Amino acid sequence: MNSELLQALRLADPRLSRFDPLRRIIAFDDFDRGFCGWTQLVGNYEHTLDAMLPGYAQHTQAMLSTLPTWDFGSHGSVDGSYALKLASRPRKGAQNVTLKRLTFRERGPIRVEFYFTFKPEASEMKLSETDVRSIGFLYDLQGGDQDEGAAADRVMPHLRFLNALDGEHLQKWQFKRRTKTFHPIGTENKTVSHYHLSPDDWEDLPGGQQRLCYNEIPTKVNWHYACLDFDLATMQATAFRVNDRRFDMSGFEPIRIPAMRNLWCMLNLCFFVETDVDKRAFLFLDSVCLSGEF
Amino acid sequence: MIRENLTAVVARNERWSGVSGTEPYEAGWATEAVIFVRALAIERGPDAAADVLPPTARVQVSADGMRWIDEGTVFPMPQSTEHDTCARIARFGNWLRVVTELPTGVAMKVLVTLHLK
Repeated sequence: MNSELLQALRLADPRLSRFDPLRRIIAFDDFDRGFCGWTQLVGNYEHTLDAMLPGYAQHTQAMLSTLPTWDFGSHGSVDGSYALKLASRPRKGAQNVTLKRLTFRERGPIRVEFYFTFKPEASEMKLSETDVRSIGFLYDLQGGDQDEGAAADRVMPHLRFLNALDGEHLQKWQFKRRTKTFHPIGTENKTVSHYHLSPDDWEDLPGGQQRLCYNEIPTKVNWHYACLDFDLATMQATAFRVNDRRFDMSGFEPIRIPAMRNLWCMLNLCFFVETDVDKRAFLFLDSVCLSGEF
Repeated sequence: MIRENLTAVVARNERWSGVSGTEPYEAGWATEAVIFVRALAIERGPDAAADVLPPTARVQVSADGMRWIDEGTVFPMPQSTEHDTCARIARFGNWLRVVTELPTGVAMKVLVTLHLK
């Protein structure tokens, strides 16, 4: 099928016409159809759950939500009733993560597109625009079992929108190229763990300031579009768009760590949320489209 | 389309003492829920009364996820790590949580799962 026909077919499909997928759609997850394979990120453990690092132990299951509000009822999603909702606990700095676990077929360009919004729990009748610390997403990738040297590395490109920190409204995109110390888990020398979502080591994406539409009370939301292009051949980000903005990714670097023994061809996609106050922070995903050029 | 069916772990190895409960969970798409509680560990401190009554868990519902009321279902908390407990509920609206009050000197590490369809 030629690309013009493919493009025309997708533009004629109301479900896909608000995305710009690459040639092959790997996953098209509209949460009006259910959870679509999005689960919670459980930390590594062995023999006992007590071995799990605290950053992971706090994670809970994402939920299907109509974005219900106490003052005007269900908000609904972009084109239906349900969105995937990720909620932090009500403790400053608390985080939560949801993810989809895949492997890749081809080491070439991939694209993730998603419609998202975020809000704190509306437990106070004030704007609360600095209550959500950050929302973000990452890939967790590793080369194939026949790759050698750096080509086999585990690579973890992270991006977050730092909305606020300690009450300051910062509104900027950041990335991370360093991770924390690896901790051995258990006694059998088979599992390690590292909390790559720690608050440390985030760096500003050059030109990454962005004022997103937040609306005017703590319950109204507006949906945003985001798109990241990443090349699995070079393990480099090539483009990043959010709404009307296109960001220069030449200064972006992913986390790179040596290959691990059981993660060949891994393609995990994660979303996370973090609260800046003792109040729950919510990330909502209307839909996620992951595509590849193969 | 096949019916949605979810196992949601809403508390994993959380140490509960005193008044404790699960985080709010939205499940308005589901018409029924089975809630399982498993004790991964039970701690009895020196100040725990020997003849303490077995605690119970209560299911709660909410209009907004912030203000909670008892749904009416009450079921036992596990009395050992070998015996799980459960409750079956329906017509709960959207928000769900489980709360309990453990006696003085008693703490539990719990695994709480919602089974929704």
